[in-house]
Amino acid sequence: MKVNFKTLGLCFAAAALLAACSEPPEIAAKAAKRPDVAPYMGANNGFMTKNWTPGNQASWTESTDKRTQGQNEYSRVK
Amino acid sequence: MARMKFICDTERCIECNGCVTACKNDNEVPWGVNRRRVVTVNDGIIGQEKSVSVACMHCSDAPCMAVCPVDCFYRTDEGVVLHDKDICIGCGYCSFACPFGAPQFLSKGAFGTRSKMDKCTFCSGGPEENGSVAEFEKYGRNRLAEGKLPLCAEMCSTKALIGGDSDIISGIFNNRVAMREKNGKYPGSKAFGWTTAYGGPDTPAPTPTPAAKIPGAK
Repeated sequence: MKVNFKTLGLCFAAAALLAACSEPPEIAAKAAKRPDVAPYMGANNGFMTKNWTPGNQASWTESTDKRTQGQNEYSRVK
Repeated sequence: MARMKFICDTERCIECNGCVTACKNDNEVPWGVNRRRVVTVNDGIIGQEKSVSVACMHCSDAPCMAVCPVDCFYRTDEGVVLHDKDICIGCGYCSFACPFGAPQFLSKGAFGTRSKMDKCTFCSGGPEENGSVAEFEKYGRNRLAEGKLPLCAEMCSTKALIGGDSDIISGIFNNRVAMREKNGKYPGSKAFGWTTAYGGPDTPAPTPTPAAKIPGAK
């Protein structure tokens, strides 16, 4: 089979020219909100208070509630 | 479930700006941004000067959240309004919507260019990993995840600013008002509390003041 280089070249040129007609989408991907981790899961940074268990919501709530009451000087002086 | 709030007692605030300094220092807030400010009215008038420490109030129906065109805000289960700086485009809509002037922008250049929004996080960071360096650099400390409360409230020397679960702090404030009344200061003042302010299910609707009794109203 005889290859017609001229036809082949024309095919390649046509393909290259047509490729230029295409356009990639320019719509930015929608920024998605990332889920936040609840504070009762704790922070691994060595500054955590010791009187609660990370991951236990009830113990975190109890600890922070007690700490909140620390702002009440009436309860501290009694 | 806790609903975290701040209350500032104007009878106790002495305008020391300790809360402002503590916030800036602990969260390493850049120069030009104040997440918390102390506002004083009737400055210098004896007996009438009042100061109040203001920051993001973590509104239950936050207007910043409602107007944000890129929906970067979210509310945690603790009732804290936070935002994702990776989504924020720094447009400033939230700043116009907020009645407390909480959203702050760092002016970055000579042509009014500004940064992404920065505001009080109730010391609970952002969507990055709790207590991580990335979270600290973008949002500051995450004291809630450390089992602590916002530093501004915890270090307030007169305990004018208190923060924490709304039911507990309104109870503390309620007790103060009752004590003041008992001690003869502000006799007849009603005890104020979270449920008093917003009303319970049995609270009748308030009666509007007739226009004739409002000074200046027609």
